Amino acid sequence: MSAAVIVGILMAGGVYLVLQRGLVRVTIGFVLIGHALNSLLVAAGGMGFRAVSFISTSDPAEAADPLPQAFALTAIVITFGITIYLFGLARSGAEDIPADDVPDEERAS
Amino acid sequence: MILPVTLGTLAATALAAPALTTRLGRNAGYPIAAIFLALAGLIAAQAAEITDGGSVSTKVDWIPSIGVSFHLHLDGLSFLFAMLVLGVGALIMAYSPRYLKAEGDHGRFYSLLSLFAMSMLGLVLARDLVLLFIFWEFTTLSSFLLIGGGGLRAIQPATRAFVVTASGGLALLSAIVLMSVAAGTTDMTVIMANPSVVTDSPLAVAIAILILAAAFTKSAQLPFHFWLPDAMVAITPVSAYLHAATLVKGGIYLLMRFSPLFNDWQMWQVTLMTVGLTTAVIGALFALKQHDLKALLAYSTVSQLGFLIALVGVGTPAALAAAALHTFAHALFKATLFMLVGIIDREAGSRDVRELGGLRRVMPVTATLTGLAAMSMAGIPPFIGFVSKEEAYSALLDTPGPEWTGWLAALTAVCAAGLTFAYGFRIFYGAFAGPTTQRRLYEPSPAFLTPAAIPAALGLIFGLAVGVLTPMINRTVADTVMTDTDAKLSLWHGFSAPLALSAITIMIGLLLFFGRYPVDGLLHRHRLPITGAGAFDAIYQGCLRLGAWIGAPTKASTIGAHLAWPLAGVLALGIVGVLMWPDVPDTPVSPTRPEDWAVVGVLAVAVVSLCLVRSRISAIVLLGVVGFVVGIWFLIAGAPDLALTQLLVEILTVVVAVLVLRRLPPFFQQVRRSRKAVAAVAAVASGLVAGAATFLLTGRREQSPAAQYLMREAENNSGGRNVVNTVLVDFRALDTLGEVTVLAIAGLGLLTLLRHTAPPGAELSNLPTVRPPDRAGNMVIYQFTARLLFPGIAAIATFLLLRGHYEPGGGFIAALVAAVAVGVLQMPHGPSHPPRIAGLPLIRVGLTLSVLVGVWGLADGSFLRPLRGYLTIGSLDIGLSSSLLFDVGILLIVLGMAVVAFERLGRGSLHPAERSVAEPVLQGQGGERR
Repeated sequence: MSAAVIVGILMAGGVYLVLQRGLVRVTIGFVLIGHALNSLLVAAGGMGFRAVSFISTSDPAEAADPLPQAFALTAIVITFGITIYLFGLARSGAEDIPADDVPDEERAS
Repeated sequence: MILPVTLGTLAATALAAPALTTRLGRNAGYPIAAIFLALAGLIAAQAAEITDGGSVSTKVDWIPSIGVSFHLHLDGLSFLFAMLVLGVGALIMAYSPRYLKAEGDHGRFYSLLSLFAMSMLGLVLARDLVLLFIFWEFTTLSSFLLIGGGGLRAIQPATRAFVVTASGGLALLSAIVLMSVAAGTTDMTVIMANPSVVTDSPLAVAIAILILAAAFTKSAQLPFHFWLPDAMVAITPVSAYLHAATLVKGGIYLLMRFSPLFNDWQMWQVTLMTVGLTTAVIGALFALKQHDLKALLAYSTVSQLGFLIALVGVGTPAALAAAALHTFAHALFKATLFMLVGIIDREAGSRDVRELGGLRRVMPVTATLTGLAAMSMAGIPPFIGFVSKEEAYSALLDTPGPEWTGWLAALTAVCAAGLTFAYGFRIFYGAFAGPTTQRRLYEPSPAFLTPAAIPAALGLIFGLAVGVLTPMINRTVADTVMTDTDAKLSLWHGFSAPLALSAITIMIGLLLFFGRYPVDGLLHRHRLPITGAGAFDAIYQGCLRLGAWIGAPTKASTIGAHLAWPLAGVLALGIVGVLMWPDVPDTPVSPTRPEDWAVVGVLAVAVVSLCLVRSRISAIVLLGVVGFVVGIWFLIAGAPDLALTQLLVEILTVVVAVLVLRRLPPFFQQVRRSRKAVAAVAAVASGLVAGAATFLLTGRREQSPAAQYLMREAENNSGGRNVVNTVLVDFRALDTLGEVTVLAIAGLGLLTLLRHTAPPGAELSNLPTVRPPDRAGNMVIYQFTARLLFPGIAAIATFLLLRGHYEPGGGFIAALVAAVAVGVLQMPHGPSHPPRIAGLPLIRVGLTLSVLVGVWGLADGSFLRPLRGYLTIGSLDIGLSSSLLFDVGILLIVLGMAVVAFERLGRGSLHPAERSVAEPVLQGQGGERR
């Protein structure tokens, strides 16, 4: 239940920010959505098993599922890579346009 | 071996043609014609073998896993078409040198024409469905390129021809897929030997329809006929070879080839005869309307192809014999006529039948040849066109089914043939009779005329001695319908119904000719409300508009407009999924612990604040808070590696964000209230759906088999005890390699994206000029601290890397720690000081190392398989694994990307005017140098 609430909160915040103006807020929203999905991956292992998945450290019957954790770990780092890239986009846009929003939305419609 | 050698020689000719033309210019056609002739001789030498019922075959396994083989097979039917391809090809190649202009590069033309010959020959020789399709597509492509060679005005016709015939190609592909599903093989010999496996399957009707679609588009049958007259923008050799003699016969060949499957179906018969005869009549009517000789010949070809299709539809051995003979006859007279029209066009500067008259006085040889071919087309004895028409009448009269169908078909054919006679006679008249309109014309050189003279003469010779063709035609029919036949071809059959029909044909034709002025008036007064090309263009434009309409939402330049669609799509999917409320076990086996709610509480506050703040710096701080809370959540969920990664990533994200924010205004832009409301609704809906999905779909099972396996076997198989790490570097190392490659690409992308940043040390125009008063003093403290910290952090990173296999740590985490070290070292120097290490070499070395480790694994049989060994120092056994090296590769890539980010995002930007001298980004790799 707690996992579901956490995923829900992060997802809602992420979607809200992604729909705002400005690439920086979109990037922040993207990071939140990334958190939500990583939490979902971890939850997929089942929150009933929370012992660390180290052999001879914890009881194998209690151990958390290592496979989704491995997925989530690479996903975190990839999210980081894309976040940096998005910040780079915001930054390069800032050179030509004063604001970080690439175009002006009022004009573009 | 003969067949692959023939195909290979043609392919080599296509490759060598450009080189030949640079040496010989347009005269390169002569050696190529010699090659064609030699190949034709090679195939013709098999005639005795073929007529005895033998065949020549080559079969090599090509894609054994799906049973596709490179299977070429020469039988009677293939022989007929192969002779046309090579024989007419040789004539056209010999004709082209005099037709083409002396200047200009003709390499492309000769190359494409040879390529076409190769693909057409392959098409008629292929005995595997897949092979057949590939050669079919090759003919379509080379036809498109040859038509399109006619310059700008050829764009539309070439496109039309391509779209129509390529859709036919798709139909053929579908038919082939269905057929191989039904028959379980793509070997045509097997399918033809036992047609019932296809015809009895439920797919049979679909297969038949698709084959019809392919044949009708290729052979320009109504309503797809329009591409062929359009294609006449191509130069004359192309029209003569592709669009009269060979390419358009591809559809006929296909129908004949698949006749054993379908020719006893009534629907097959009715469709072919109806479409064929209708096309024959309408095409001939259109032809009669034309004054441009080339257009006339194009519509005439449409009409004759319809005639052939109707004969294939009749399906009796006699009808197929007539079809085979008429295919041969048509190639002879139509190629001749095209070549002569090309000559007349070159010499007289006109192709208008009204402007030509009395050519016999100024160009007697040309006129004679034109007359010979026109009479063969009109079906006048003793030409071969007469014999084939007689055979056709007789076959149509004997159409299986009620007697009236035979008469109806024959009489319709008489109408078409009457019209054919009329326009054929018109050409004949233009050549011979009437006043000479252009007196200053003179005969072209014999070299120009000979290629046209040969088929014209053959049309007469084969007409007189048609009996010599009998064995080969019988063999063709036998190999088409798999039953023996004994058609006896002769010029004179005695007085019979076909002879009477021929007489009627000639009478109709003469009437139409002598009444040509009223007939012309009538034909030109009535225009069809729609033309094929017009309908095609309308549909084509419609498709483009549909595409534009579908793509319209992506044209918006705002970010939100792009993100809204995928978000809405995911949301819709999620809502449908949740509403269907999957059947899940009632009792969730995921107990919630009290500390979870603490996480939830802090997270909710942080996320809501993050959504509401207007200050950028506050947003970044809150983002960090959210990240830390998520990290803690991972920790209590039993994932220490994740937690570590998450915390480190969060630190680095904040550092990078701060670097970026320095150059942006302090506050976010204002957003309209209405937009906020919409975003809030979407956000709440997404949150609910995501939460509901998580609740419904996770944690409702016992430990997964994968988890059980890994917890049991990980140490034995990899030597590591940190199972998450062993999954990353041992069990699913290929995944990880792909993921770090993504990171490497992100790093390179960042380098390209920010290539306009000022080089280190440059005077920066847009940095804040206000500096802290005691900057130098602060720097000393910073630098000292950094020097103090750096070795420690570096040691921690190394430690984390080495123990990754057993305890929390590993390449990713070590890289992030190392990145923090680099950041710490960089901070006191400010953006103008270059970092001690460069990102790009790190990424390069890391990626290379990872791949090399993978290749090393091949030594043990599999890419990226870890190799293990033991190092014994005294009484200490240390387990070693190549996966540690792989982890080092990961470390280098991730560190490289982070360093790139620090280095580039920290720098100032160049004034736009100075950008042209900005440093090259990927120097030494052929990178872009703006």
